[in-house]
Amino acid sequence: MGDSQYSFSLTTFSPSGKLVQIEHALTAVGSGQTSLGIKAANGVVIATEKKLPSILVDETSVQKIQILTPNIGVVYSGMGPDSRVLVRKSRKQAEQYFRLYKEPIPVTQLVRETATVMQEFTQSGGVRPFGVSLLVAGFDDKGPQLYQVDPSGSYFSWKASAMGKNVSNAKTFLEKRYTDDMELDDAVHTAILTLKEGFEGQISSKNIEIGVIGNDKTFKILTPSEIEDYLQEVE
Amino acid sequence: MSRGSGGGYDRHITIFSPEGRLYQVEYAFKAVKAAGITSIGVRGSDSVCVVTQKKVPDKLLDQTSVTHLFPITKYLGLLATGMTADARTLVQQARNEAAEFRHRYGYEMPADSLARWIADKSQVYTQHAYMRPLGVVAMILGIDEEKGPQLFKCDPAGHFFGHKATSVGGKEQEAINFLEKKMKNDPAFSFEETVQTAISALQSVLQEDFKASEIEVGVVRKEEPFFKVLTTEEIDEHLTAISERD
Repeated sequence: MGDSQYSFSLTTFSPSGKLVQIEHALTAVGSGQTSLGIKAANGVVIATEKKLPSILVDETSVQKIQILTPNIGVVYSGMGPDSRVLVRKSRKQAEQYFRLYKEPIPVTQLVRETATVMQEFTQSGGVRPFGVSLLVAGFDDKGPQLYQVDPSGSYFSWKASAMGKNVSNAKTFLEKRYTDDMELDDAVHTAILTLKEGFEGQISSKNIEIGVIGNDKTFKILTPSEIEDYLQEVE
Repeated sequence: MSRGSGGGYDRHITIFSPEGRLYQVEYAFKAVKAAGITSIGVRGSDSVCVVTQKKVPDKLLDQTSVTHLFPITKYLGLLATGMTADARTLVQQARNEAAEFRHRYGYEMPADSLARWIADKSQVYTQHAYMRPLGVVAMILGIDEEKGPQLFKCDPAGHFFGHKATSVGGKEQEAINFLEKKMKNDPAFSFEETVQTAISALQSVLQEDFKASEIEVGVVRKEEPFFKVLTTEEIDEHLTAISERD
């Protein structure tokens, strides 16, 4: 990819052995809006802040949480435009898998392929790494799963994780509250409370997004009124 | 030529700076402001209106050839603020894409699809070193069959949002403040109110009353979902209505 004039990698090793462009990409992620995910015993929840630059923006036109397949959803922290590219590529890879094997793609496989794309952009000529970290939530034969993929292309499976501006406070909060036998509903409440921790301003159903997947193996993005119900339960 | 990785080249091509920023994208935004034009878009309950300044730098120029308002299809309009040459490239590609969409899928490209396509193309320029970002912010307007009037704004970073009202250019922040006050309680503007809000917003931030020949106005209306550029006479009617109202 890229013009022949740029057939050299822009991401190169520094004398100390670091890939500086990737570190800068992680900084870009760290200045993005907070998002988090929690794996419960019977499902996964992902959530994010949805702070818009002005009240003039039509919030119904913006959706940060995206569906990749009927049983896998994703949320990002960092640069929105970069996330759209990854969502599109992941959806295509999932469809190609299904076309070949007539079976929905396992979560680990989709995560691995997405991570490979992100890694390629750290090594190919004339391109920069993606400025996003992704939280992928899915439910397949192996049960509920939550993965985080970083700009470097490395990915890990998490019981609970957070990314973006408020990452350290959020992770501390999650460590305290997480239990292995959590139910999905509790996980949603915990997710909301975690978001509330570092939230600037008044949390409402219009400035957060929540996606869940349960035993029905169908990823669902909650509507504002459903979020409102959960918010009231948390109060 | 030496490699990036912060050796001063983070300002020349779109690679990350140590703070995780893309300087080339930020400079593209500055280029939009440097064009010295302010544009405004307002979405009403059954129409969308965009207004921009028409600065003709030389009296010898043919005024009819100076425009920032471009029809993409019969139903979609695009207002480009920023570098005119980049705007023409963008419009050309958008027209091509909209026509192919119509041919491929058998129905007209909706406003949000076009906005997404433009934004995705802009994102590619922010990630690949061989092309610089375009110094243009585009406002797309159209009537969606299901969702009604739509106004989208796409910027050099690859962001796009739907807007109830928005502004771009030299005085965009003042205009956005003005519009936020007007749209605070989610008013449902009629066609006349939509056009007048847009024009008076521009008048207020530029602090001058202009003649009909100094601005360009584009509209789409539910009753007549074709993108239309208003003639000087039509603009005059609205200007008169505004001054009588005040």
